[in-house]
Amino acid sequence: MMLRSLGAWPITFHVALATAALMILLGAAASQQVLATLGRLQDARLQEFARLHVEGLAVALGPFALHKDVWQVYDTLDRARAASSGRRILFTVVADEGGSVLAATDPARAPVDSPVAALAQGALPVAEVTAGNGAPVVRVAAPLAVQGRTVGTVVTELDVSDLVAQRRSATLALLAANAAATLIVVLANYLVVARMLQPIDLLARHMGAAGGAPQAIPAQAIPRADSVVSRLLRNFNVMAGAIDASREAGRRLAERERFVSLGRLSSSLAHEINNPLGGLLNATDTIRTYADRPEVVRTSADLLDRGLRHLRDVSRAILDENRLDRTGRPLSAADFDDIRLLFEPEAARRRQRLDWQTAAGDAALGHHPSAAVRQVVLNLLLNAAAAAPEGGEVSFRLTDGEDGLELAVSDDGGGLSGPDLERLASDRPVAPGGGVGLRMVRDFVGSMQGAIAHERAGGRTTITVRLPRRGAPPC
Amino acid sequence: MRRRGLLGGLAAAGLFAAPALAGAGARFRLGLTPVFLDNDAVVIDRLRSALTGAMGAPVELIQRRTYQEITAALLGGALDSAWICGFPFLQHRERLALVGVPVWRGRPLYQSYLIVGAEDGAGGLADLRGSVHAFSDPDSNPGYLVTASDLARMHETPERFFARAIYTYGHRNVVRAVAGGLTRSGSVDGYVWETLAVVEPALTARTRVVSRSEWLGFPPFAARSDRAHDPDVLRFAEVLQRLQTTPAGSEALELLFLDRIAAGDTTLFEGIARRMAQVAAQR
Repeated sequence: MMLRSLGAWPITFHVALATAALMILLGAAASQQVLATLGRLQDARLQEFARLHVEGLAVALGPFALHKDVWQVYDTLDRARAASSGRRILFTVVADEGGSVLAATDPARAPVDSPVAALAQGALPVAEVTAGNGAPVVRVAAPLAVQGRTVGTVVTELDVSDLVAQRRSATLALLAANAAATLIVVLANYLVVARMLQPIDLLARHMGAAGGAPQAIPAQAIPRADSVVSRLLRNFNVMAGAIDASREAGRRLAERERFVSLGRLSSSLAHEINNPLGGLLNATDTIRTYADRPEVVRTSADLLDRGLRHLRDVSRAILDENRLDRTGRPLSAADFDDIRLLFEPEAARRRQRLDWQTAAGDAALGHHPSAAVRQVVLNLLLNAAAAAPEGGEVSFRLTDGEDGLELAVSDDGGGLSGPDLERLASDRPVAPGGGVGLRMVRDFVGSMQGAIAHERAGGRTTITVRLPRRGAPPC
Repeated sequence: MRRRGLLGGLAAAGLFAAPALAGAGARFRLGLTPVFLDNDAVVIDRLRSALTGAMGAPVELIQRRTYQEITAALLGGALDSAWICGFPFLQHRERLALVGVPVWRGRPLYQSYLIVGAEDGAGGLADLRGSVHAFSDPDSNPGYLVTASDLARMHETPERFFARAIYTYGHRNVVRAVAGGLTRSGSVDGYVWETLAVVEPALTARTRVVSRSEWLGFPPFAARSDRAHDPDVLRFAEVLQRLQTTPAGSEALELLFLDRIAAGDTTLFEGIARRMAQVAAQR
């Protein structure tokens, strides 16, 4: 989840993040080296100090330890402590070769004749003394030798809190310096990358978001230098122009498709208009002939009225089909009545049975644009009528489901050919030689975020278009 | 080391007595024991200046670590006179003569103090059995003999009574040993402790006097009996007893916290003699 959301962040952030990670890694490695060197230097200094201290005590105390002269051992330790300028030595105890304390700088901690073992616990040899374990006090033990003979032991506690503090402050300083360096580098990196990506950003903005059309980049926004970037942007503008031209061609094609649909219906519609005309002319003759017979005139006038109304409806449907544009009114039940009016003569001409079921009110239909849906349904119906045999069956079913409108057109024809199915189901370029009606269906459904399903079962072909419910219908 | 030890032994035996005296010339050699405040070079210097001025000839002040070394040098003739303790004076009573006795707080007397740490609850010597004790010197009256004789009265010896007894060879060192916690208790010269209480109050404040001895003869200036009537020694005795009359002498005495130096007499040391007898009887 985190990684997924991280992936959605801008590339500048990704580069800054990678730089920060690299800087932190490098900083940690460098800091480790510095601290290790500091530790080695401190330990070497500490060991040198401990060695000088112990060697000095060995020279001064050796003979006294040999003779077990308690006072002289104490006096020497006490004078050395008083004369010591630093505060490094906290405590020193000297024991004889049997491990009994002779004297210590603090006799309360190490009484005369008490065992030195407890005080020597954890004590390190001079060569191994280190301030690296973080303890403020380290304990050193060394033998006291006189002419090669070990006559006792000296145990010293050294205050290394200053070295520990020095190491701690060095660590903090390194952390602060690394953090500052990382911040500066990351910020600079971010700015440089952001500047480098400006043309890409410009390109992305003009590409169009959420399916929008690419827009040409203004000439003044394109760098004048003949760089790769400027060539890229100019090429983009050429491409955007080509896409515009393509879209315009598509729009014109769609426009033409409406006329194509009407054209395909023209023969049927001509019959639809011509057929009633004979009856209407007969009615006028009847009126003229039987003008003195009111009941005959009334009946003929009714006949005339019904015929003219039908002609009016057909012509209105044709005009509507011509007038419709893409920004038109919302879909309504009347649109489906128009489609039926336009299509029925075609079905009748082919002696096909039309099964028409619409079960959706204006409230549900109003969410969708009229023009696109009309074009989709008319194209599918014309396609089904063409596919169904003479005397076959074409059905149309409109339902209002939970997820939106469902439009299903089926026929008992031989089914869609491979190229037709490709036009309907894919965005691959239309093969030359075929119609564009099914591709227009696909484009219209796509523009409404809908989906198309194709099913061939029981000798019937069913194409189902599902249009998701959208916002409130326009007023 | 071996050569130095041999020479020291010969000197102690008196074999170098004649050359030492012969080579003395105009220089008067005065030995000082660690009864003195051995850490105060200023006091030593002022005393030498005062004595040199009064004697009209150079006076050399010679210090050694132990009483035994000074006493041996005096008896061997390497010194013309020495400021020693009443205990070695009595130990060699037949061979030593009194040159002068310092007067402290109006009397030629002082005490021995038994001290413990300031926080120690001991009420007396008997409470210190089995502890570590600091003596000043085996030949010191206040720094050894008084405590040893007190123990003798208890039918004890220092070796049996204390877990360990150490010798610090200096009364100030006894105070340091007790104050620093090296030993639980110590035997110290009362004059030195009182003087330290004035010049180094922080040191004595870390100790507490548990008991004080009776008043005993102050450490005297002594010379070999056979040289007691030498002009140099007589002159030195006279200079000592008139030291307070000169500004330099008065200043030196003031630094030493002494009133003057009296002629004195051997009866002052009878108390020490009694204690010596008690210790000898116990042994």
